[in-house]
Amino acid sequence: MPKTALFAVLSLALAGSATGPRPAPSWRNTSWLNADRPITLESLRGRVVLLNFWVFTCYNCTNTVPSLVDFDAKYRERGLTVIGVHTPEFPPYAGEHDRSNVQRALEQYHIKYPVAQDNDDRTWNLYGIRYWPSFVLIDRKGRIRYEGAGEFHVGDADYRLWEGRIRELLEEG
Amino acid sequence: MRRTAALILALVAACARGRASTPDAARPLALRTVPVGDSLRLVLEAAPGWRINARVKPVLESADGTLLRFDAPGLTPDSAYFAEPPVAVVAARGRHPIRGTLRASVCAAGEAVCRVVRLEVRGDR
Repeated sequence: MPKTALFAVLSLALAGSATGPRPAPSWRNTSWLNADRPITLESLRGRVVLLNFWVFTCYNCTNTVPSLVDFDAKYRERGLTVIGVHTPEFPPYAGEHDRSNVQRALEQYHIKYPVAQDNDDRTWNLYGIRYWPSFVLIDRKGRIRYEGAGEFHVGDADYRLWEGRIRELLEEG
Repeated sequence: MRRTAALILALVAACARGRASTPDAARPLALRTVPVGDSLRLVLEAAPGWRINARVKPVLESADGTLLRFDAPGLTPDSAYFAEPPVAVVAARGRHPIRGTLRASVCAAGEAVCRVVRLEVRGDR
């Protein structure tokens, strides 16, 4: 019998883009790292918020982390809050759900910004995310303004694009 | 022609979170079986342009919770992806049907994103 193969079908819609302003939904994650207590969207009103959906086993995600660390260092004082939303790809047996493993990744990649564990995918689903890594940029009024996905690196075109978006929203006052 | 076991792969959801609802589709993975003695090698192959994440190894999870992990010695220089198809070996052909959910994290070259592919595997050997 010939080998049997059936291919999975996937789709892509990666281009980061501006979205019509719409209210960002409130996440309710309870397990946080780099934070004394759970951070709510409501508590961030008045700040620009960059959500990064990632998982430490995703190479594209960890390759992008230096850019996020850079944004955090450059713009936190000016009103940007970077938040990592750590959403596992696999069931718990893969270790992605373990807080200690996430903590190790934060140390490995020098992540100082808050990271929420999204082990039940609730925030992932709340925002309709499809890929690792993905990004959601929220303005000072709590509205989603830009969304996108895909790895980028410090100084490259996508980095400059996201930095421009951050600066635009910060300047809105 | 070598005889290979029949594996019927039923696509439950093309990917656990990416779904498969739009027509501009790609086809990232295939599973084939190769008998070796009394064992059966399950070989997970990526379509051209796709890479299988080696940081979280593909797993075939049976209904009873048994996990069958895929692995391969050859990785890309950054150790992020398999450089050759990962393999799992099932012993004693014919003893049990191969059934379960296969999960793999795949990344398309040039797109710089990853997603989970989930395949429902049903087949007798």
